[in-house]
Amino acid sequence: MKKIYAILIALFVFLVTDAQIISTLVLSTQPPAQLSEWGNRKEVLTLIIRGQAGFVPNFKVKAEISTSDGTVIGFVDLARAPIFTGNSAGNTILYAADVLPLELMQFSGKYKTSLQRTGKLPADNYILCLQPVRPDDFFPLGEKQCKTFYMATTQLPILLKPYNEEVLDGKIAQTAITFRWSPVVPNSLPLATYRLQVFEILPTQSPVQALRSNQPLLDKEVKGTTQLIWQPQLSFIPINDNNSPNKYIWTIQTLDNNGNPITQTDGSGEARSEPIIFFVDLTKGVKVKN
Amino acid sequence: MTRKKIITGFLFFLLTNNLCAQDVKDWLSVSGTMGVSYEGYGLSRSPSGWTGYTARRPWNQVRFNFTPVFKFNKDFSLPFNFNFAAIPTNFAGPYAGLKNQNLGQFITNPMNSFGLNPKYKWAELQLGTQYLKYSELSTGDIGIFGIGFDLKPKTYRIKFFTGVSQQGVNYLLGPPTVTGAFKRSNWMFQVGKEKEGVYNVAINVAKGKDVPSSANPVPLTLKPQEGFVMSLVTDIFFKKGWYFKSEAARSIFTKDLTTALSPAANEFKPFIDGHTSTVTDFAVNGAIGKKSKNFDIGVSTKYLGAGFQTTGYPFLQPDRLDYTLNTRFNAWKNKSNSYKMNVVASVGQRVNNVSNTALKAKQFIGNLNWFTQFNDNFSLNVNYNNFGFESASGINPYGIKNVSNDLGINPTYNWSNTKMNHLISMSYNYSIYDERDVMTGNTTSNNTHTALLTYVPTFFEKDVSPDFSILYFKNDVPLAKIQMTTISSGLSMEAAKKKLRLRGQLQYTIGKLNAFSNNNNLIASCNVDFKITKKLTWNTFLTTNYFKYGNEIVPNGANYVETTSRTGFQYRFDTKK
Repeated sequence: MKKIYAILIALFVFLVTDAQIISTLVLSTQPPAQLSEWGNRKEVLTLIIRGQAGFVPNFKVKAEISTSDGTVIGFVDLARAPIFTGNSAGNTILYAADVLPLELMQFSGKYKTSLQRTGKLPADNYILCLQPVRPDDFFPLGEKQCKTFYMATTQLPILLKPYNEEVLDGKIAQTAITFRWSPVVPNSLPLATYRLQVFEILPTQSPVQALRSNQPLLDKEVKGTTQLIWQPQLSFIPINDNNSPNKYIWTIQTLDNNGNPITQTDGSGEARSEPIIFFVDLTKGVKVKN
Repeated sequence: MTRKKIITGFLFFLLTNNLCAQDVKDWLSVSGTMGVSYEGYGLSRSPSGWTGYTARRPWNQVRFNFTPVFKFNKDFSLPFNFNFAAIPTNFAGPYAGLKNQNLGQFITNPMNSFGLNPKYKWAELQLGTQYLKYSELSTGDIGIFGIGFDLKPKTYRIKFFTGVSQQGVNYLLGPPTVTGAFKRSNWMFQVGKEKEGVYNVAINVAKGKDVPSSANPVPLTLKPQEGFVMSLVTDIFFKKGWYFKSEAARSIFTKDLTTALSPAANEFKPFIDGHTSTVTDFAVNGAIGKKSKNFDIGVSTKYLGAGFQTTGYPFLQPDRLDYTLNTRFNAWKNKSNSYKMNVVASVGQRVNNVSNTALKAKQFIGNLNWFTQFNDNFSLNVNYNNFGFESASGINPYGIKNVSNDLGINPTYNWSNTKMNHLISMSYNYSIYDERDVMTGNTTSNNTHTALLTYVPTFFEKDVSPDFSILYFKNDVPLAKIQMTTISSGLSMEAAKKKLRLRGQLQYTIGKLNAFSNNNNLIASCNVDFKITKKLTWNTFLTTNYFKYGNEIVPNGANYVETTSRTGFQYRFDTKK
């Protein structure tokens, strides 16, 4: 009987010390370019951990980011990495904030420089590999799980027409004003939604003040296309006593498939392109020479 | 009720002030204006229940302005800048959706300004709301409610301002959804030396920081941020109109204050701590050129690093390099020795993604405006604009390529007799916009033709000035063709011994989309400016817009009428006798 107990204890010790962990990595193929943003979004990275025999020992996660040719460009400092206690009764689920804590990561060369300057990695294909390891000697406790991802910063549209400070002929503008802008880059599916907004700048307002405080005269969403012909249905009689042309500011807000700003870490966080102003002059081209 | 009292009190003050002004002492002069205006908006849609067109102005709005400048003597002045509105109408920015604002939110709402700038000789105290532009790269776009100063002893420049640019606003799902905002405190400082028209050297420092606990629930799409920027401005103006301008700036910006502190991250203590989301980058602005009466030429360039970000310019799009060559010149002298020809042109390029964190994109920019007054009767204006945008497209088989070309020709002919002047102006614009499909590589051409004919008779001995015009607009793109024809007429006249000025306009547009039936649009508007006294004017603007769809939408024949009325009193301070 004692022998049976001894065998069972030996088996238990073996299982505990060399227990294999099965892990599954789910990674977005095009995660946010801003690495610090990964930790805020649970949908970016999920690591599911479970024990092979229903038992999960304490573990750390070895994390490496490499280029597509296998060169490691960044890794988590395992000595300082957090120790996780597995859930023996079921799955243990970890997210980017757990396995890729930026404050514990070390990057090299131009990737380190790029991160310090921009918070982003250069546009390219990368491979992320995660592996559970023993906390004390970093001995692998399971297979390495690797996923590729493509990273490119979202470039918001640039407003093309009317160009900055363009003076439009009021007679034409009262029938139609054509707006054009460049597409969001990268231009991928699902197509982005462009929310075009035009604000009147009152004589007492600065342009950005008008944008942030007035109700837009035009607030229109279009999907995919980069031109809109607006029939203003407005009278552009000058609102100033001095007959100076009326002034407007316009911008594009780029929205994702869920109607949220396509990038929330750049600029104002609203994914609004740099606004520009234009004038509408009813007397343009018809100045009378007395 | 309170609002009514405020409006009544303001109107009373406005009307009685005219009498009080008689007692103003000689040592005090007052200039500037004050006024109150009301704007009402109406929208009626048919058939009942159809919501295809939405309101685009607040139903009611009352605006106040009080901007007198009290000048006590040649050294001391006290300018007020109070501009505020009764109802918040924020759609963009952190206050979007806010309907009920507390006092702090009202004061810092960007639609309101409460500024006071007492000035004694070279010292100016800045109180309340201030829109201060220190430089192109440090701060300039945002209004801050606070306190500061602007000192200009001799050629020295010392400026400082601190305050709050926005209050905390709790997120609200709604409807209407309130975007929400974190309270943001700002300060800025400038020290420099300037001799107007000779040189300007200044160091600017600006900082903004959000308070993460200032909103609950926190905004869903915004992160609390902190930004610090330093810049050096150097402008030198040489003889004969030559100039050199430059600014170099470095920013340290934390994109999310809730991220962990990191000793390895960028920091600049004691001004800003380093978080894992802190980035630092630089920007440079430069221009060199010559300005004169008949000839300007200049080269300008701007580089904004990918991580360059400031709280003073929240909409700045970084990661780009712009360079342009600008020129303006007059040519072809006439008998009276003035020039017949004026040309303004610029050519340049913008390169996006200098840092390689995104797909490289290039944008070509070219503009030309060429005006020639051939003789007393005939002039011609030609303008040409080109904007091209080209970029890789990520995983798509073809890159992005959008090119916009616009050509405008505008001849004007006028002749006169002893009683009147006739002016006929034609305008033709051709615009082509090519867009490449990133999946198929096919290029779609979008062509727009616009032709406008205007006739303006001017009577030398009458106070009536009418104008008449007809316009044809056609936009042609595969699967969609839009045509519009507009006839319009305007009338301007003075009456009641020139105390009353009337301006009116009537416009009818018939439009057509593809083979659908025509849509119709009628706009009527008028301005009535009435001088009640030399200093008090009553301005009224009324407009109505009727639009009836063809069968391009369901329900067929849907229509709407919208009306806008704006009326207000403006009092002009003027103590000069």
